[in-house]
Amino acid sequence: MPRRLTALLALLLLAACTGGGDGTPDQADEERPGTIVVASGRDVTGSNGVRQRLIDAWNRAQQEAGSEYQARLVELPGSADEQRSQLLGALQSGSARYDVVNLDVTWVPEFAEAGLVRALPDDLVDADVIDPVAGTARWDGKVYAVPFNSDVGLLYYRIDLLRKAGVEKPYVPEGFTWEQLRGRIAALGKKLDAADYVNGWTTQLAPYEGRTVNAVEAFATAVPGLRLVDEDGRYTGDVEELRRGVKELTRRVDQAYISPSAGKQDETESTSEFAAGRTAFLRAWPSAYPTLYRVFGDRLGVASLPGRAVLGGQNLAVTTTSERARKATELIRFLTGRQSERCLLEAGFAATRASAFGRSARCPAEISATPAPSPTGEADEVPRGDDGRPGFPDEKLKEALERAVHRPRTPLYGAFTQTLITQLGPLVEGGSADDEELARRLDEALRRALPG
Amino acid sequence: MQPEDAGEPMDRALLIGVSDYRFTKRPHGVPGKLPAVEHNVPVLHEALVRAGVFADEEIVSLQSPDFAEAARELQRVAREARGLLLVYFAGHGAIPSGGDELYLQLRDAQVFAGEHTVFNGAVSFSDLMGTVLVTSRADRVVVVLDCCFAGNAARVWEHFEDKRRVVLLMSVQANHRIDAGDPGTPTPYTENLAELLGEEDGTTVSRLAARLRERMAEQKRRTLRNEPWEPQLRADAGADAVRLGKEGPQVPLLSPDGTGPSGTAPRPPRPPRRRLPAWTAALWRRPRALAAAWSRARRRRRHSRSGAGGGTRPSRRILFRLALPVLLALGMLGVGLYGPLGLAGGDDTHCDPPLELRVLTDPDMEEAFRTAADAYLTSDANTTDAGCRHTGITVHSAGSSDVVDALRRHTDDWKEPEGDEVNPQRDIGPQPDVWIPGSRAEVDRVLEEQDTDAVAELEPAESPLAYSPVVLAVPDHLAPEPLNEVTGRPLTTMIDALTVRAEDAAVRRPDPEFTDSGLLATVGLYGDASAVARGEAMVAQPGPPSPTAGDLLCALPDDDAVDDRTAALVPEFLLISGVDCEDITRAPRTALYPADVPGMDPVFVRVRWDDGDVDAVARDASVASFHDWLAGDGGREVFARFGFRDPGTREPLDEDQDVDAVKYAPSPLDESAGRNEMEQALSAYQAYGGPGRVLFLLDSSGSMAGVWQGPSGGPGLLRQTLGGLGADDEYGAWSVADTGDGPYETLLGFGRHAREDAERAVDERARVRDASADPHAALLAAFDEMEDRGDDGRPQLIVHLTDGRHGDRLSGGRLREVLDRAEASRVPVTVAVLGSGGCDEGRPDRRIADVSGGRCLDAGDDVGAALHDEIARIGTGDD
Repeated sequence: MPRRLTALLALLLLAACTGGGDGTPDQADEERPGTIVVASGRDVTGSNGVRQRLIDAWNRAQQEAGSEYQARLVELPGSADEQRSQLLGALQSGSARYDVVNLDVTWVPEFAEAGLVRALPDDLVDADVIDPVAGTARWDGKVYAVPFNSDVGLLYYRIDLLRKAGVEKPYVPEGFTWEQLRGRIAALGKKLDAADYVNGWTTQLAPYEGRTVNAVEAFATAVPGLRLVDEDGRYTGDVEELRRGVKELTRRVDQAYISPSAGKQDETESTSEFAAGRTAFLRAWPSAYPTLYRVFGDRLGVASLPGRAVLGGQNLAVTTTSERARKATELIRFLTGRQSERCLLEAGFAATRASAFGRSARCPAEISATPAPSPTGEADEVPRGDDGRPGFPDEKLKEALERAVHRPRTPLYGAFTQTLITQLGPLVEGGSADDEELARRLDEALRRALPG
Repeated sequence: MQPEDAGEPMDRALLIGVSDYRFTKRPHGVPGKLPAVEHNVPVLHEALVRAGVFADEEIVSLQSPDFAEAARELQRVAREARGLLLVYFAGHGAIPSGGDELYLQLRDAQVFAGEHTVFNGAVSFSDLMGTVLVTSRADRVVVVLDCCFAGNAARVWEHFEDKRRVVLLMSVQANHRIDAGDPGTPTPYTENLAELLGEEDGTTVSRLAARLRERMAEQKRRTLRNEPWEPQLRADAGADAVRLGKEGPQVPLLSPDGTGPSGTAPRPPRPPRRRLPAWTAALWRRPRALAAAWSRARRRRRHSRSGAGGGTRPSRRILFRLALPVLLALGMLGVGLYGPLGLAGGDDTHCDPPLELRVLTDPDMEEAFRTAADAYLTSDANTTDAGCRHTGITVHSAGSSDVVDALRRHTDDWKEPEGDEVNPQRDIGPQPDVWIPGSRAEVDRVLEEQDTDAVAELEPAESPLAYSPVVLAVPDHLAPEPLNEVTGRPLTTMIDALTVRAEDAAVRRPDPEFTDSGLLATVGLYGDASAVARGEAMVAQPGPPSPTAGDLLCALPDDDAVDDRTAALVPEFLLISGVDCEDITRAPRTALYPADVPGMDPVFVRVRWDDGDVDAVARDASVASFHDWLAGDGGREVFARFGFRDPGTREPLDEDQDVDAVKYAPSPLDESAGRNEMEQALSAYQAYGGPGRVLFLLDSSGSMAGVWQGPSGGPGLLRQTLGGLGADDEYGAWSVADTGDGPYETLLGFGRHAREDAERAVDERARVRDASADPHAALLAAFDEMEDRGDDGRPQLIVHLTDGRHGDRLSGGRLREVLDRAEASRVPVTVAVLGSGGCDEGRPDRRIADVSGGRCLDAGDDVGAALHDEIARIGTGDD
């Protein structure tokens, strides 16, 4: 059957080529109703399947409207590397069929440049979408992937330890800097004994995307406005910029401040170390909040990351090979619209739209993931704001998103991140390296990885 | 191609416009005639002459030729050209299915659609490129395509090694059809092209392409898909040097005194930033010295880049032929400092995203193959002349028996997962383009029993890539003295001898269902007589086996007493390369080489998926290149580092390897594993102990509402594991919530069930209760239930699916009571905690799992996949 489909498609494509007519789309552009396949990584954020429930809601609406379209969610592995590999390999070769793909923000240029996803109507990303988040949607001036859920690095800290060490309120003031953070850690080291406190902070420096994220955060803090690539994604950095960035990263991973295990930690492991009380500070995504709150309760503090924080998140795109592109675009419009973003926010995701934060209309009950308050005493102990979202105040999250920086936007992002991860190995694994030499080598390697 | 031996350079152009088609009726004809195209050739011919690009006699124009004529003329013109060769085509373009080939349809074109669509009377763009590159000695080739899908030529171009000589101008982006426009005028693209040639002086190709794009945008042209119509360019470094306009004043940026541009030429869009050093003057006169100069440059890449070269100003003619190598040299010098891969990284270098290969391997070999792939990615073999990567590779691993099973029976689900229960895309990972199992026998296991309607086809390579024997790694102080029993004896004899030397000695083996090293060891454990019970008794251990050999070596030092008296069945290479496990020191071990345990011989298997042939040519080339690299010196270097042996001679690949550490002499008996041996060992292992018994406890308290829905919610996970249980297994499920009638409610009574019935029961009855849970009472009841069923040696398991929020219901004395009971009952409890951090050290669920010999799984573990593996180990189900 699929083979026959391919042949049919070939015929359709041929049938109208260079017709010499008036340029109006012909019958080949008419869609046949059917299933729209949405591919997305396994949801490990504990969001209670909100993506599935949004799709269910769309399907119900279709059914009620008498439409023959239905959307089906196909889950991919939880590992982002494996998701990317499958999406790229399948779309390039045709080994699997997807209509809509959920892309990490860093993959958008690659999929767009390779012609695997389609340009979408500009109005899908309107002024309501938070600025840096909206920037992830476009490539080459066109919208290719619409922000679905966002993410940004935050600083978690132990209020009780800071208080005990005699730090005065606010423990982490507005405009908190890395220098101040190091000062706090030094104070903790002096004032507290080993029973209370072991290491200053921890983060994700294992050889995977987490290391890239942390490096870019250090680099962007040290070199304001750092881009590293031009609008075509070609490398434009230089040794001097990298030297300043490497120097900042070196300061951050100084053994006097960081956990010695950070070089082997990913999100789960670094969060566990903080949760086990072995560090006073942690850099992590918003999704760590519920877990940490359950452990520390009011002893947990959250703030924007000092310096610059990297933007994460995922965007939805329509594949070039989709035979139902028009309807798939409509589905994306629904999934990224105001109501859906509100539902995503309530489920614990960072919403992409400003309107979702604050006092906008609650997520409808038939979609909502929020558990009803339970009278049993076993109620969800994580605080929820007026909006029902588990966690700290929305405004903080929104502010962090508004200030967030992009990782370099390049179609060769895979080569970029692999290069950064490898080259920074001696620094984050060994704890020390010659900054100058490392910056020079990194510059060399990036030049090779992103020719231009 | 030097001026002195090439004679008078001859520029040639072949212009083909097909407006008149012989077959225009369905089903095999093309969509119709193209009156507009009739104007293209004369208009372009005139513009080229007027602009001084070609003399009139240098151009061959063909109006609506048939295939034979076009092919003949193409060969002739290509052969004659020495300087610049231009090939232009306008007419119908067609693609097989949105893929990597483009057919240019000539007057006699016909299409026979079917499983493999046949294009008669059409030349594929690959053939056109091939003909031009093979036949022509032209310095520079410019191909212009004005047809539907013209942009699809770009990917074909990418995969030609020698594409540096070819600049490709395409009327439209890939996968787009376009309208030919008014029958009374040329097609929009060609009309604009001709006009720009007439208007612009000294137009470089990249400038021309940019202007064409601007013009089409200004005119608001749209493709038939109603997207902006965007002409495309593909060119390697130096495209700026190819001019299609009147004589340009200078080579961009080069002047005799090295001071930068002179004259009034428009600045190229992105001028190279670096100046020429002195010695490049030689290159002006002797382009062939380039190669030698290049290798010198590599040797001297740290040299100063200051200074500027002298040289004479070239004439326009010379400019055509020399501009490329000169600019190439410029690019090389500019980035020479950065090594060979930056060679042609001029400012116009454009790298397309590489083709992605999905590589699946055995869990114990994942690190070795990932290291190899990383080395390959940046190797010369994977780098184009422009410094771009041909291929990207992601290596992942999955449980070996799951992979074999999926390739046998679930390729359709792998390609198109229909439901939540069976989804190999999620549970195993990407559909592999390449599968590298730990043993060739795994391939045979798939081939022997693959479904006839499987949608994936395996093509194994002839020989394995490397070899590593599976050894019995004995703590040094328990090694035989003298070392006369190191080889040549059956595994069970070696183990018997070990226990004679030390009564309390133990042996462990990784999970035979998860890694091939575990299954290969099991072949030896059971021996010829299939003494399953005896073999299993030899490797009995508290709790489940470690998933991989690497995990096993890491787990042993958790308890020094265990480490000191336990031998491990692991592949030899792990003893040489070591495993990365958190700075733990392990008891030093001596390798014994059992004669009846087959070794690991990873083999490279190309996997082809139905309909996955859109980019078949390019993908095959990528796969072949990676295979050749792995099988060649590049791969050998990595395998040597990881401690593998030569698959042919069985000698260590690393010649410097410490001989004392390797006392192995190849035995004629350790042939690579046979399919039947492995199949039988696996079946016997799975059947050992009989069908399993599993009791699921599904936390249904109020707080579970946040982790209830979707395939990763509590009931979803429970449903997905049911496939691991067969018709002979006994299982039941309880909903745990204290609603006043006791700590649980039965969702599914204990017994044998058809999978559909069990799924239905979960669907219909599982729901969140407005109540808290009492895990203490529920777990104690579960131990009672399992004990009531008797200790008949059958594999047993309690699975607790919970959000881990137990409050004081599972702390203090209550927790102590559960822990004591768990330790005494010998029924492992595997806890799946939905939410991260639930299995951190010291958490109640973690302690219960540890003390009972079960596992604690949380968000850090990919709970779904890990739980599936756990159940598969106990049950006899198919999935």
